[in-house]
Amino acid sequence: MSARFSDLREGDELPPFECAPGLGQVIRFCAINWTFPPFFYDPAAAAAAGFPGTIVPGPLKLGLIFRAVDEWLGDAGFVRHVRAAHRRPDLTGRPLVVTGRVARVYEEAGAGRADIEVVILNEQGEPSVRGFASVEFDH
Amino acid sequence: MQDQSLITDAVRALVGRRAVLEPQTVTRRAVQKAMDLYLGHQRGAPEVGEPAPGFVLAALELGNDVEEFPQLLPNSMLISNEWQWERRLIVGETLRSESIVADISERFGGRFGYNITVRREIVLTGADGAVAARSVNTLMYYDPKNARGGEEE
Repeated sequence: MSARFSDLREGDELPPFECAPGLGQVIRFCAINWTFPPFFYDPAAAAAAGFPGTIVPGPLKLGLIFRAVDEWLGDAGFVRHVRAAHRRPDLTGRPLVVTGRVARVYEEAGAGRADIEVVILNEQGEPSVRGFASVEFDH
Repeated sequence: MQDQSLITDAVRALVGRRAVLEPQTVTRRAVQKAMDLYLGHQRGAPEVGEPAPGFVLAALELGNDVEEFPQLLPNSMLISNEWQWERRLIVGETLRSESIVADISERFGGRFGYNITVRREIVLTGADGAVAARSVNTLMYYDPKNARGGEEE
């Protein structure tokens, strides 16, 4: 299932993308980047930093936005831009929902493009990330 | 409470500074690591010459060797980050990598008190000399003594 540029309207909503980044995923992220701030995986270090538990790295959440938009787009084109503005920490293992709404549909440089407003909501329904994505359609 | 700017001429002069970093190759291994991270599997990883999923940027070594920003305030926090692509990346291609301090700004007051934000871009350029992708981080430097609790800014 792919999005279709000809069917796209401003205000269209992307399917919610549900996930719960766990400790294993966080550790894989740390390993890939070879960066290991202890509050990402050590509950005592997280508590010392003022968090009620270990937290999900912000850059990992950028990739979750990418995945949500990319899965909606399918093979209709490619993601040109994703941005995440981090508002609240998210605790490891807690449910998150990536939501998106088409904000602008336009043509540029001969290609169909769309801008999407993205929000990651925590289990209380609060925005932990406010984001943005832009996609380009092949046809 | 900090009421004077810490952004000296020397700090301001960092804006626009470029540093050439190690070239990055979009290896199949990097793609597999990124797929494992974001999809939980490595099945169907593209072959050399095929388009790579955009999230492969997470598995490239972007900015690990960039110059540290001067320690003007004791704490730092990532406040935003972004990835941009001008085209699909290809498995097997090697990209030139460059770090640029794009912007430095400061704010007096607010939830974190006086703070300095630094926007740094890693620019990846293809063999044709055209920009292929960017990875951008904005860090906020602050003093926890001046921060106060609160909701979303």
